[in-house]
Amino acid sequence: MIGTIASREIRGGLTTPLLWVLLGAGQIVLAWVFLQTVERFSGLKADERVASLSLELSLNLFGLAAVVALLAAPLIAMRMLSGEFRDGSFDLIGASPVRLGEVVLGKFLGVVALVTPLCLLPALNLALLSGSAALDPGLFAAATLGLWLAALLFAAVGLYASSLSAQPGAAVLAAFGILLLFSVVGEAEAIGAKGLSLFGWLAWNEHLFWFLLGAVRVSDIAYFLLFALLFLALTHRRLANRRLG
Amino acid sequence: MTSEEKQRHLVDQLLKGECLVVRLGHRDRQPPGRRPSHPWNGHGSQVPATDPVAEQPSFGKAGASGYRGAAMETLVRVTDLSRRFGRQLALSGVNLTLERGEVLGLLGPNGAGKTTCLRILSGNLAPSSGRVEIDGLDLARQPVPAKRRLGYLPERPPLYPELRVDEYLSFCARLRRMPSARVRGAVEEAKRRCGLEDAGRRPIAKLSKGFRQRLGIAQAMVHRPSLLILDEPTEGLDPVQIREVRTLVRELATDSGVIFSSHILPEVQAVCDRVAILHRGRVVYGDRLVADHETRVWRVRLAPPRDAVSLAALGSVEEASALREDRYRVVLRPGASSEDLARDMAGAGLGLRELTAERSDLERVFFDLVGAGDAA
Repeated sequence: MIGTIASREIRGGLTTPLLWVLLGAGQIVLAWVFLQTVERFSGLKADERVASLSLELSLNLFGLAAVVALLAAPLIAMRMLSGEFRDGSFDLIGASPVRLGEVVLGKFLGVVALVTPLCLLPALNLALLSGSAALDPGLFAAATLGLWLAALLFAAVGLYASSLSAQPGAAVLAAFGILLLFSVVGEAEAIGAKGLSLFGWLAWNEHLFWFLLGAVRVSDIAYFLLFALLFLALTHRRLANRRLG
Repeated sequence: MTSEEKQRHLVDQLLKGECLVVRLGHRDRQPPGRRPSHPWNGHGSQVPATDPVAEQPSFGKAGASGYRGAAMETLVRVTDLSRRFGRQLALSGVNLTLERGEVLGLLGPNGAGKTTCLRILSGNLAPSSGRVEIDGLDLARQPVPAKRRLGYLPERPPLYPELRVDEYLSFCARLRRMPSARVRGAVEEAKRRCGLEDAGRRPIAKLSKGFRQRLGIAQAMVHRPSLLILDEPTEGLDPVQIREVRTLVRELATDSGVIFSSHILPEVQAVCDRVAILHRGRVVYGDRLVADHETRVWRVRLAPPRDAVSLAALGSVEEASALREDRYRVVLRPGASSEDLARDMAGAGLGLRELTAERSDLERVFFDLVGAGDAA
């Protein structure tokens, strides 16, 4: 049943222009940054280079791709619940012999499947350099994994926000709000609470940073998975409460 | 009229299912201790004494035409259903049952609670109190097996415009946990029954309103449910399409129970076996419709100069009154038909120009109950 729901979402996502627009726009931005990074790096003398080309590309390209995924996931997720509430098509699922857990997981897998090509874009760009520069494939694999895990979190937050309102626009704004909070919460440490590392731990970008450096840490994987699960559980709760009106 | 004649008269009326007031009077005179048969379950005294469905005041006709045999299988049993939205009570103490092979019309003005009731029956909304059983399965405790037995068409067909008709129906069949091997056949059958054979490859976004409505019905029946819930299925359709939908609903009722909501009275009369009128969240009336039941109140137009007295003198007329100019209102004697009236008027040389039925019984009852009789 999860597969049935997910495959419908994927089919629906592929037939609407939104995904293709996001992929196209994302590729244009990434290609521009990719070109700039390579050009800047090749313009520097050996003693001026502070990091390897692989690291430069990882930080710039994957960092930007994470921002693109952060913007894309809520946009893709908004039609999955919020759009269905608005159009009345959620009544079909509501009257079908499907558990809410299956609905949430099916929709989540749908968003993840549609966001995954965006996560692969940086790696595809880097494939252009494969014959002409000595790059670190392990670093890029770690960065791709980190980016994909971050996309899981964005998809879960997007889905939760989508369950909050029958207005897709409001749902997208709510998702951006939550994700923005999770982006800047790490800055709280710099403002005053020096000894408190909780805020730093809560910020998704702090965890992604380690992946971009090539370090795959269990604590970072756990962070992304736990928070994705938390927002999925909140989505389930929200859908259950919706029946109570 | 002697008391014996009166009694015979009452029995005649009861057997024809003609007069609600008469029937209620008859029910009131039932001997103490004997439980009145309930029009919603058709089982009469077989209902257990603790069943709250049997406790509510009943409205139906107890005439011979009103009941089917005890062999009828209860498909849906709704017990004391209530639903609140904040302070507003949208449904209050609704009890009803549906037999297999029966079409129940849910009638009521806009805002009466029809859609709320159907959303609860479909499992989309939880009731504040009360219970819904489908095929003996509690919808709240066993939602998955209970929902396998139902198909639901909401007010707006729940379509995905980006899909094609075949893709959509296959998705709906799989969503209802149909075995993969049977999906293709079920989709073809649903398309055939709903007149969508040539639309399989068409994107839903490009379908006309009529086709979308048909597709909405097709998705509700693709898995051959025992219960079909249709919320105003003819809304926005043209007269030809309305007739097609009515025929389809009657056809579907051969092997399922159908709950059909509408605010159009003739439609309910044309399609349904029984009717429940909802008003302000309560079932205010429940009755079995009799297909060949002709109204007793007629309006006639006669060539002047005529008067009501000459009409009242006719053998088939019980009462006649002048309306305006050459128009009169006529109440037929019990047992008399419009044919008798026409024959009498022609025989008396009254110059009949027009003969039309006044509002149907259902219409009259509806307007009386919802308190809009004068406006109608």
